[in-house]
Amino acid sequence: MTRETQSTPAASTRVQRLGAGEVSVDIRTPDLEINFGPQHPATHGVMRILMRADGELVTGAQPHLGYLHRCAEKIGENVEWLQYLPYTDRYDYLASMNNNLGYSLAVEALLGVEIPRRATLIRIICAELNRIGSHLVAFGTYGLDIGAFTPFLYTFREREWMMALFEKICGARLTYSYIRIGGLFNDAPPGWFEEVSRFCDVFEQKWQEYVDLLLVNQIYVKRTANIGIISREMALDFGLTGTMVRGSGIDWDLRRDMPYMCYDEIWRSGAFKIPVARGEMGALGDCWDRSWVRVMEMIESIKIVRWCLDNMVEGPVIADIPKTLKVPLGEAYVGIENPRGELGHYVVSDGGKVSIRTRVRGPSFCNLAVLEDILPGSLVGDAIAIIGSTDIVVGETDR
Amino acid sequence: MDFQAIHDRLRAVAAPGLVSADLPRKPDPKVKKDKGRAGDPFVLVEAQRLVEFLEVCRDDDRLKFEQLIDLSATDPAKDDAQLWINVQLLSLKFRHRLAIKCLLPKAAPSMPSTVPVYRASQWHERECAEMFGITFVGHPDPRNILLPDDWVGSPMRKDYEFPKEYHGISCE
Repeated sequence: MTRETQSTPAASTRVQRLGAGEVSVDIRTPDLEINFGPQHPATHGVMRILMRADGELVTGAQPHLGYLHRCAEKIGENVEWLQYLPYTDRYDYLASMNNNLGYSLAVEALLGVEIPRRATLIRIICAELNRIGSHLVAFGTYGLDIGAFTPFLYTFREREWMMALFEKICGARLTYSYIRIGGLFNDAPPGWFEEVSRFCDVFEQKWQEYVDLLLVNQIYVKRTANIGIISREMALDFGLTGTMVRGSGIDWDLRRDMPYMCYDEIWRSGAFKIPVARGEMGALGDCWDRSWVRVMEMIESIKIVRWCLDNMVEGPVIADIPKTLKVPLGEAYVGIENPRGELGHYVVSDGGKVSIRTRVRGPSFCNLAVLEDILPGSLVGDAIAIIGSTDIVVGETDR
Repeated sequence: MDFQAIHDRLRAVAAPGLVSADLPRKPDPKVKKDKGRAGDPFVLVEAQRLVEFLEVCRDDDRLKFEQLIDLSATDPAKDDAQLWINVQLLSLKFRHRLAIKCLLPKAAPSMPSTVPVYRASQWHERECAEMFGITFVGHPDPRNILLPDDWVGSPMRKDYEFPKEYHGISCE
């Protein structure tokens, strides 16, 4: 409280005399601009949000992207089909296996090549393990964002094992390039499936810890319920996908509704379910619902992995694909269910060695657009919780 | 619905701007050097009437495309006089997709903004505008999204020349 605020009555709404010489003044702060990021741990990368606030109330938000723009789509027009694969690792670096898969499926749609059964099953195992890893980061760091440090350490402990599994199968821990056009880079090493099976057993027990520690923790619930509400209509209008639509109560999952590979077979066998938020802790479509969907999905992914392990077959892991690949003339769009939503690849070929267009529809990019609408009206303190609940990876929004 | 059924329905309701359907086909052995076309079918729509077309797709009882999944552009070749606009629609209710393509002249690419129909296209159009130099008439927020505000040129065009420097930073 300063002398100036007292001398300008227009700036203060209420002056209350408390005692001798003590005065309490409400200082009006209309249209305060807060620059959030680009270097802020809660943006999960380098992203800047320009927020306008009236006191503690957010009145406007404008995300500024592009700090991590690496021209991934332009590179796609300059390198050969097979050479582009490592670049796909780098847009959603928490789910590289899924990115490899999306790109490979899109090119295979043009090639019309048949993928060996063993390759398909190992692909699904890798994609689902990576989904678990990605959700572990999303859930753990979300807790970290809003002040719960311990669960973050727990989730990273399990993710470490998942990364060790990937290291054994392809040698890399983050950018795998393991799923190739036509199949896989190589077969799983001896004993790998047994270790995956052990991982599933242990993970199921640990998973219960996350639920008890964080998900149903009253502090966590109070911090995340009833804020950042995305209605059903809004989710559809903004083209949200994945956990964001399921968090708004829309029963939609590409693995079941537009199946690719052999997900339809797994679904028909009743091995897994699609968790859809019901608004248990507050309004439907709030931040808690989205994190609930992520936690529940992890356990469903474990069931899919188990199914693949039980139905594993022997055989080759890559179709006969030439080193210098020529893709037939045409265009194809393939969307797959990434941990963050629909990852779409639109590829155009003129029949040559290099693509004409490699369009990447990143789910984070589309999911982030909704922030402009859900942040206004919330408190500045809740803004962190809302941004965290959209679970963006900046590598993918900027590409 | 499969693509043929969607196309028939679009014809039946006389969707505005619908030009033709393009289906993948096998190479014709009788025609010399015919490569055929692989991939997905799509419909060709007039760019200037895309907004009305999308409105029909969204509101028709048997199409119900609730979501616009993607809107992007393609520069097919350096010597091609046209750009493509590629739209991917998705119906959650009927579990079907539709790919739409529009052609725009490269000389002055301009078309009405589709934001009034699907708000999802707001950011996609901003990206298209900066990368391909397309003007979306009536866009509520036509700023650059991934590139800096003062970037010169349209990087995703095939005839784009890479800059030698940017604000004194050498790019060579």
